[in-house]
Amino acid sequence: MDATRRGFLGAVGRVTIGAAASVAGASQSAGAAGAAPDDSGHRPHWGMVVDLRKCIGCQACTVACIMENDVPEDAFRTHVSVYELVKDGQDPAMVMLPRLCNHCDNPPCLPVCPVEATFKAENGEVLVDASKCVGCAYCVQACPYDARFINHETQTADKCTFCFHRTSVGLLPACVETCVGGARNFGDLNDPDSEVSRMLRDNEVSVLRPEMHTNPNVYYIGLDDVLDGRVAGEAAYHAEMVAGPGHDAAQHGEGL
Amino acid sequence: MQVQIHELVGAVHEAAWLPWAVQYFFLIAISVTALLMALPGFLSGRADQLPRARLALMVAVTTGITAPIALLADLHQPFRFWEFFVYTHKTSWMAWGAWVVPSYVGLTLAFAWAVHRPGFASLGREDWRFAWLFRWLSLGGESNWFARPLGIAAGAAALGILVYTGMEVMVVRARPLWNTPFLPLQFAATGCVGALGVMLVLERALCRAPALEARLNRQLALALAVVGALGVAWFALASSGLSPRHAEALASVAGFPVWYRIATWGALAIAVPFVLALALPRNTGWVTGLIAIHAAWMFRWTVFMGGQAVPKVGSGLYDALMPAGLDGLMGVIGTFGLWIFLLIAYTTFLPWQEAGAPQDRAHPATPAKSAGSF
Repeated sequence: MDATRRGFLGAVGRVTIGAAASVAGASQSAGAAGAAPDDSGHRPHWGMVVDLRKCIGCQACTVACIMENDVPEDAFRTHVSVYELVKDGQDPAMVMLPRLCNHCDNPPCLPVCPVEATFKAENGEVLVDASKCVGCAYCVQACPYDARFINHETQTADKCTFCFHRTSVGLLPACVETCVGGARNFGDLNDPDSEVSRMLRDNEVSVLRPEMHTNPNVYYIGLDDVLDGRVAGEAAYHAEMVAGPGHDAAQHGEGL
Repeated sequence: MQVQIHELVGAVHEAAWLPWAVQYFFLIAISVTALLMALPGFLSGRADQLPRARLALMVAVTTGITAPIALLADLHQPFRFWEFFVYTHKTSWMAWGAWVVPSYVGLTLAFAWAVHRPGFASLGREDWRFAWLFRWLSLGGESNWFARPLGIAAGAAALGILVYTGMEVMVVRARPLWNTPFLPLQFAATGCVGALGVMLVLERALCRAPALEARLNRQLALALAVVGALGVAWFALASSGLSPRHAEALASVAGFPVWYRIATWGALAIAVPFVLALALPRNTGWVTGLIAIHAAWMFRWTVFMGGQAVPKVGSGLYDALMPAGLDGLMGVIGTFGLWIFLLIAYTTFLPWQEAGAPQDRAHPATPAKSAGSF
C-alpha cells in the first residue's frame, strides 16, 4: 500500500513539475502576454491531457476554477461529470469526465461572434474580450461542448481561458494546479519534449465530439466511446429536485 | 454491447436565448412575409388587391417596429448594440443581420409613409385640430412616385431578413434540431401562416368583408399546406436516413414523450385550420386566424426553447418552461402589448383605408377613396 501511494505521489509530482516547467520555460520569453515566440522562434501552443484513469471526481478543479476566476453561482467554467456505467450487466463502474472549453483550433464559437469579441490567442487559447462582447449568446449556442455561458454578473459570454492570467506569468491553470490525482496535465503541444506531448505519444487519446471536426486541444486518456458525445443515459437533473415536494413541476424532459 | 448510463453529477445549462428571441423571430417573420404580400397589391395598383394589401402593410409595419425591440432586449448588453456596426464580423450571419434589420425597418417605414403620403396631405388640407400634424407628416407634398422603388428595395430587404434569420439558426451545428436545411424554409412558411392569421383577425376586427375573409382563408390553407408538406418531407428525410442532418435532429429528440406530444400538437395546429379554412372560408376567420398565429408562435417556441433544452453533451432534457419575470412571460406580454398599441395607433391616426397604388411621376397622387370597398 505504501509503495503504491509513494509511486502514485511520485508520478503526480513528475507530471506537475513537467507541466510547470514547460509553462515557465515559455513565459520567460513570452512576457506578460505569453504569446511571443522565444529566441529560437518557438511559440507555445497550450493544450491539456486529461488522464481519466487518475480522476477521482473530487471536484477540486471545479472549486479551484470558481475561486480563481470568480465564476458566478449556477455556472461553471469547468466541472467533472460523473457517470455510472453498467456494461452487459456487469458490476457498475464509476466514470469521471472533466469538462471544460476545448480551446479548439477550429472553434465554432469564433466565426459566429458578430463583433469579433471571441478570438484565438497566439498560444491557442480561445478567449472573449468582455469589453467588446454584446452578450448575444450566439457563441453559447455554437459551442458543441456546452462550455460557454452568459455570466449574469458581467452580462457577457464567459468560459475557461486556460487561466490565461496565470499561464502568462508562468503558472499552471488553477484546475491543473489543484488536481489531486494528477489527472489534468497542461503544457506546450508544440514542444515535443513537454509532458503533454509525451503523454500524447505514449497513450491512446480521444477527444470529445470528434464528429464536429473542431480540432480540440483537450485530450482524454481512457475515454469511453459512449461518453464522447451527448451521453445517452438517465439524467442526474430532474425538475422536481428544484421545485421540491408539493409543487406541480413538470417531470424531467416534459417541460417544454 | 449493452450499456446503461446513469448521470450522477452533471451541469444544467440554462437557455441562453430567452423568450425575447422567440418574440423577435415570430414578429420579424410575420413582418417580412406580410410586406411581401402587401407589395403586389400596391405595386400593381389592382383595386381588388388593395384591401388585402392594406391589411398586410399594417401588419408589416407594426410587427416590423416591435420585432427589433424584442431583439435588442435579448442582448445581455443592449447598450452595446452600436458595436454591431463598428466591429462587423463578416463570417457571422448575425453581423449581417445587424445591417439588414434596420435597412428593412427603415425601408418598410419609408414605403408605408410614401403610400400614405397623399392621405396625409389630404388630411392636412382639411380644417380640423390636427391638420398641422398631417401637413408635417406629408412634408408639404403628396407626390409618391418613389413608393415603387422604395417598395422594391423593402421587398429585397425582406428577402434578406428571411435568408439571414434562417441561416443564422441553421448554421449552428451544435444544435441538431436547428442544423437542418429545411429550417429557413420552415421559418418563411410559418411566417406566412402567422401573417395571414393576423390579417384574418384584423379583417374580422376592422373590415368584416366576407370576400376578403374567404380569400385570406384560402391563402392560409395554401400556406398551411406548404408547412405541412415541409414537415412531412422533414420527417421522411429524417426517419429514412436520407439526410444525416435531419436524422440527427430527429434522433436528438426521439424517445422523449414530450416530443411526441409536440409532434401531435403540431400536426393538429396545421390540420385543423387547414380543414376549417377550406371547408368554411367564411365566418371562421377568428378561429383560423388565432390558431394560425398560435401555430407560428409555438413553432418558434419549440425550435428555440425546445432546441435549447436538448443537452449538447449531458443526458436527458433540460426544462424549457416560461419564466415569469422580464426574461420570460412579462417580456412576451410586453412585446405583444407594444404591438397591439401600435396597431391601435396605426388604425386610429393613419388614413390606412385610403392607401392606394403610387402614382406616376408625371401625375399627382390622390388618395384612393375605397374605405368602404372591402
